[in-house]
Amino acid sequence: MTMVMDKPAIKGKSKSAQMRKYGFFPGCVAKESCKELFNSTMLLADRLGIELVELTAASCCGASVLNDTNRDVARVLNARTYAQAEALGLDDVITICSTCTGHMRAANKELLEDERHMGQANAILGKFGAKYDGTVKVRHLLWLLADDIGLDELKKMVVRPLNGLKVAPFYGCHIIRPESVNGWESARNPHSLEDLIVALGGEAVDYAGKTRCCGFHVQLEKDGIAANMVGQNMRMAKDQGAEAVLTPCPLCHLALDGYQADAVSRWGRTDLPIFHLPQLVGLALGIDPSTLGMNKHIISPGLVLQEHDLAPAHVA
Amino acid sequence: MAYTLDIFRFDQATDEVPHRDRVEITELPETVTVLDALEHAKAEIDGSITFRRSCRSAICGSCSMNINGTTGLACKTPVAAVLKSDRSIAIDPMPNFQPMKDVVVHMDPFWDKYTRLKPYLQPKDKDSDHATERRVSPEDMHKLVAVANCVMCATCYALCPVVSVDPAFAGPAAIAYAYRFIEDVRDSKRKERAAQISDDYLWLCAHCYACSYCPKHVDPHDDIIAVKRATIEEGLVDEPGPRHALVVAKTVKQTGMLHETEVIQGTVGRFNIKGLLKVAPFGLRLAMAGKIPPLFLKPVPKVDEIRTIFDTLEAPTLS
Repeated sequence: MTMVMDKPAIKGKSKSAQMRKYGFFPGCVAKESCKELFNSTMLLADRLGIELVELTAASCCGASVLNDTNRDVARVLNARTYAQAEALGLDDVITICSTCTGHMRAANKELLEDERHMGQANAILGKFGAKYDGTVKVRHLLWLLADDIGLDELKKMVVRPLNGLKVAPFYGCHIIRPESVNGWESARNPHSLEDLIVALGGEAVDYAGKTRCCGFHVQLEKDGIAANMVGQNMRMAKDQGAEAVLTPCPLCHLALDGYQADAVSRWGRTDLPIFHLPQLVGLALGIDPSTLGMNKHIISPGLVLQEHDLAPAHVA
Repeated sequence: MAYTLDIFRFDQATDEVPHRDRVEITELPETVTVLDALEHAKAEIDGSITFRRSCRSAICGSCSMNINGTTGLACKTPVAAVLKSDRSIAIDPMPNFQPMKDVVVHMDPFWDKYTRLKPYLQPKDKDSDHATERRVSPEDMHKLVAVANCVMCATCYALCPVVSVDPAFAGPAAIAYAYRFIEDVRDSKRKERAAQISDDYLWLCAHCYACSYCPKHVDPHDDIIAVKRATIEEGLVDEPGPRHALVVAKTVKQTGMLHETEVIQGTVGRFNIKGLLKVAPFGLRLAMAGKIPPLFLKPVPKVDEIRTIFDTLEAPTLS
């Protein structure tokens, strides 16, 4: 199995990202039902001193679903997005969604490793004057934080440490699997979210559910299926003492935040607030919880934040 | 240096609850496999320890079990690779199966789903009708090489999070075997096979890639996607799964984006009142949190380019 390693996950690696400019692919959900993710990402970027140049003409990455109808179409759509980044002189395309990360990287891998795929893509892109030269690297915001900012540097920027808040990381699927596509860290034993939580002053909670599926992609296929998967994972986190959950994926966020209530009869009440990655980092870096959109959650994080002196009383 | 096997013990004939036994191995080096260590424990220390094994060469698939929480083949797992800091190894039965005795599990649900597929070639004519053997091109055979390496160890089934909450799901191995016959040019039952696997909840695959941990590198995920495409090609589209895929394609072609509101309606069915009522609580929760996705979506700039890609590749969408 080929491992694709952009950079190894090195805890505490420090590299200034001041004034660095990145292509930014927010994905569909951050522009529709999770706008707080888009907004908190832009606020965090400003606080970090990096520029995210949104690829406004980009299309959906395929979201794992377009492959079900035509495998070529998602690959060529993503080639079009990469061509837009190249035209702007941007080699890095930063995502804030695990599904976008996994599927955009898979498409890029196919384009770079098989000249027939690249040829097909450029033949179609040529119809409207575009071309992809293969220079783009797709990376998640989490990897940018760990590699380009560095957790040591991030730690120095913390002005509101998380005061021991017990946070369960929820990696989900597409940011770690398959390793042949992602491979930035071990899919079986990832630790980047734990390292980040600790760097922000929180306590990382270990539990078996952290690398399992949230069920989002099958929520409409059969009654109760997503709720059961959510309930199972959140039960494991709660049983290990979690007070909140951190996820790098808005699809996981929607499922975990939205379906816990439907899982009560089988898995008991869990009521765990679910944080988007830039929300929790932004909170520790001193950004106001409401500005970060923490009042836009189905399970309010207000009480948990207040218990740890992380938010004023109006965030409920 | 000694190490310990921390073994799950249970006998359905006599036990109500499982317990664990710790067996110290002093006479075998760490370079042996976990299966070697178990064989030694059974032969020399406790003959009642029960596990399945046969080939010792990662070909028969019998010795799949949970090793330190990770499912895999004991005969392919070196002791040195899995020793914990306290020099122990936890040995458990595969998850998603009922334990029978110690690490041996009831495999019936797994085999039932496999046999429902009629896992043998069904050509439209008889072998005796052919003067020579049936010829298959290297290109056609190449599609089947990877899945032919499946040893039915059930690791993918044990790791599947969908199976863990809904045992009705066929699971990765069975769907990969459906692919094996659907893609075989000699077989004549493509539509029947697609319909069968569709009935066995093909579309419950959550695209989570847990099956990418396959010890034989079969990695059924791409085969599952191919079977989904085959069901659409065969016109088996009156289910939420294919409707979801087709409506996502439709909205991406129309707007460049996956339009959440349209996708929910298209998947459930715009006039399926009962179905829409079932998803209503989730939608209401989103609305109450101020997270209402737009009813209408403005197309991204240069959306004509996106439509050109769909048209050129003749990608199907919801009509």
